[in-house]
Amino acid sequence: MMRQVIYALSLGIVVSYYFFGWGIVLQIMLGVITAVAVESAFLALRGRDIISSISDGSIILTAILLAISIPSIAPWWVIIVGVSFAIIFGKQLYGGLGNNLFNPAMLGYVFLLISYPLQMSTWPINFLSFNQALEVVFNLSNIDAISGATKLDEIKNSLSLSSSIQQLEIHFPSQAWINVGFFFGGLYLLFRKIISWHIPVSFLVGIVITSVLLWISNVDLYIPMQNHIILGGTMLGAFFIATDPVSASTTLKGRIIYGFLIGVLIVIIRTFGGYPDGIAFAVLLMNMTVPLIDVYTQPKVFGQ
Amino acid sequence: MGNYSFNGGIVIKNSYLVDKVEIVQASLPKKITLPLQKFDGKAEPCVSVGDYVLVGQIVASIENGFDVSSHSSISGVVLSINTQDIAHKSGFKFQCITIKSDGEDKWIDNKAGNVDFLHYSKETLVGIVQKSGIVGMGGAGFPTHIKISNVLNCHTLIINGTECEPGVMCDDALMQFYPEEIILGIEILLYICGADRAIIAIEDDKQAAYQALLTVNRNDKININQIPTKYTSGAEKLLIKALLDIEILSGGFAINEGIICQNISTIKAVFDAVINHKPLVSRIVTVTGNSVYPNNFEVRLGTSFEHLISMASPNTKEHKYRTGGMMMGIDIVDINMPIGKTTSAIFVNNKVPEPIVQECIRCGQCSEVCPIGLLPQQLYWYVKSKNFEKALNYHLPDCIECACCDYVCPSHIPLVSYFSFAKMFSKQQTIEHDKVNTARERFKYREHRLERNKLERAQVMLDKKKVLKEKMVKEQFQKQKITEAMQRVKQEKDKI
Ligand code: SF4
Ligand code: SF4
Repeated sequence: MMRQVIYALSLGIVVSYYFFGWGIVLQIMLGVITAVAVESAFLALRGRDIISSISDGSIILTAILLAISIPSIAPWWVIIVGVSFAIIFGKQLYGGLGNNLFNPAMLGYVFLLISYPLQMSTWPINFLSFNQALEVVFNLSNIDAISGATKLDEIKNSLSLSSSIQQLEIHFPSQAWINVGFFFGGLYLLFRKIISWHIPVSFLVGIVITSVLLWISNVDLYIPMQNHIILGGTMLGAFFIATDPVSASTTLKGRIIYGFLIGVLIVIIRTFGGYPDGIAFAVLLMNMTVPLIDVYTQPKVFGQ
Repeated sequence: MGNYSFNGGIVIKNSYLVDKVEIVQASLPKKITLPLQKFDGKAEPCVSVGDYVLVGQIVASIENGFDVSSHSSISGVVLSINTQDIAHKSGFKFQCITIKSDGEDKWIDNKAGNVDFLHYSKETLVGIVQKSGIVGMGGAGFPTHIKISNVLNCHTLIINGTECEPGVMCDDALMQFYPEEIILGIEILLYICGADRAIIAIEDDKQAAYQALLTVNRNDKININQIPTKYTSGAEKLLIKALLDIEILSGGFAINEGIICQNISTIKAVFDAVINHKPLVSRIVTVTGNSVYPNNFEVRLGTSFEHLISMASPNTKEHKYRTGGMMMGIDIVDINMPIGKTTSAIFVNNKVPEPIVQECIRCGQCSEVCPIGLLPQQLYWYVKSKNFEKALNYHLPDCIECACCDYVCPSHIPLVSYFSFAKMFSKQQTIEHDKVNTARERFKYREHRLERNKLERAQVMLDKKKVLKEKMVKEQFQKQKITEAMQRVKQEKDKI
């Protein structure tokens, strides 16, 4: 099952590679190696069966999700620290697979964002060859020439410089295409019945409703709905992150509420918060409410 | 009428459906073992070891109204009467009669062929059903005569022809080959229960059976309804929900709502008993699975599983046996055990390694398929952490152990085993609890009694004392009177 999710991610990863080059491949490799090493060490300490835990694919998925969420030119130690944190604090300390309250990848992401804001907000602006990527990731050369802020940041910065949305001429083919890649990967998961429609759909509906309401309230000030949908990690979040079964709500009604509120929170955090993207925070916040949602959305029991 | 469906459940394609359904007569077994199924009553053996018995002869008779008779299904000699293991969920041993065949198949004298059941009284018919040894042949084996006698305000008779367990085909075959008998059997039951109508429920993948029944049905009190092919549709409460949109309350019974459910095989048995005067000595059993050529066999009750399996040409690999159904049935380890009145199918599959059980990933698939609307992963969590009270709050007792959740769980967690364990455990606890309570009550009562005795005794003493005192006072008074009199006499004397 986790393996299918990894396959589904590959389309988006290939698109990212097309735009940003080898950095992303390096990050994934570093992430997976770290994940396997940390997990094995921990399982050995706890005296558990290593092979069966690693072969369920869940930690590899966590590593990949984190690796593609952070900038592909982040220094090598960022992903190592992030993955280690995700596995140790996001998973093992709760007792391993199935017991964690939070989505481990997002926990790692937020940890990195808070600890290393600079490294977490510089993105490449063009395709990097393998050598270039190696140089950047392993700090062998200066990164300024090839990096910039994210598109969402860019829009927000320009807005705060009081140019209205209409005046901005925004081209963002790279992120839009990456989102398309993840969208189709997500459709594959839906089609294979690996995820159900409830979370992704309500997630996107949450984004659409909130952004449209904001946009209507002030056309000049807020980012239009379609940009929310195609920028940032929207599709990745909708199909791959929010749908993590372990940390999501388990009842059908609960999942709809859960996804919807994540969508709402994302737009609010993107609009009023200081961080480039709101997905990680939104997901973690909603993770906290899951036990409550589950209690109040129990289905009606037959004959009661 | 309902929407013909319910929430949850799973669709499993019947992978062994034979294109041409048949019923093959199984060869006569060399010996049979008849478990004397016991409900609260007692069916006592009325033959002894060494007796010669005929097919259809009663070998265990009814002592009270709750049980049914058992009949020999072959002719031969009674070999033994003792307790043996049989394929029953409880795992208990049952008293069994073993009969060795003489190979003759000689029947008792039964005058067959009276179609006019209406000149019997209802009570007579109920008696015939009981004496013919008929129990619910779908699975639970509840005595049929109990279900159909003394029913007040029964309005609907539901005939369960859904056979929702994938792979089981015995009822399908019955409906295809004996539609007239089934319709007549239903008419008999309608007469006994006094119901206004009967509904036959058939899954929509059984077109041949549906058509067969449709062609012979001339009774406008009998409806034939197709329902979606979905597992657990055969569960009584869910079937009622699907057909009538009536939800039997938790802990309630169908008859409280004026509904009686019967299985197709049971109907055929009623027909045989009333019209043909033929007691229940055989049934149709499906033998299926990937190790055999699947087919339906008419087999004498008490035949060993092994005898029947050998008729379906099993391959030579190592097998895993299961009876009942793939979902709700039970695994059998010893195939020398006998086929009983409720054995509908035997699954013979090649042995495969058991899947590795992994942690629950809270995917929620189990709650999606639960037809009862339970949250199996929550229940699992509570049962695993021995928090039975919480599990009971989450309606554990309503679980019908249909195994839908097991079937879909990607982590291969044996959820139902956890649930049935917890149910048994908490039942045990309630019993213990009740025992403690009764003991406490008894103790309290004893204390009370002792106290009361003490008081009573004290009262008695007091009364006695009082009487004594009064007596003493009286005596004294008398004594005094006497002395006074004496004195008076003395004084008189002195005067003289
Ligand atoms: S189906 Fe299995 S893994 Fe999924 S929530 Fe239920 S018990 Fe857990
Ligand atoms: S076995 Fe119980 S919990 Fe599982 S699906 Fe059936 S009724 Fe629900």
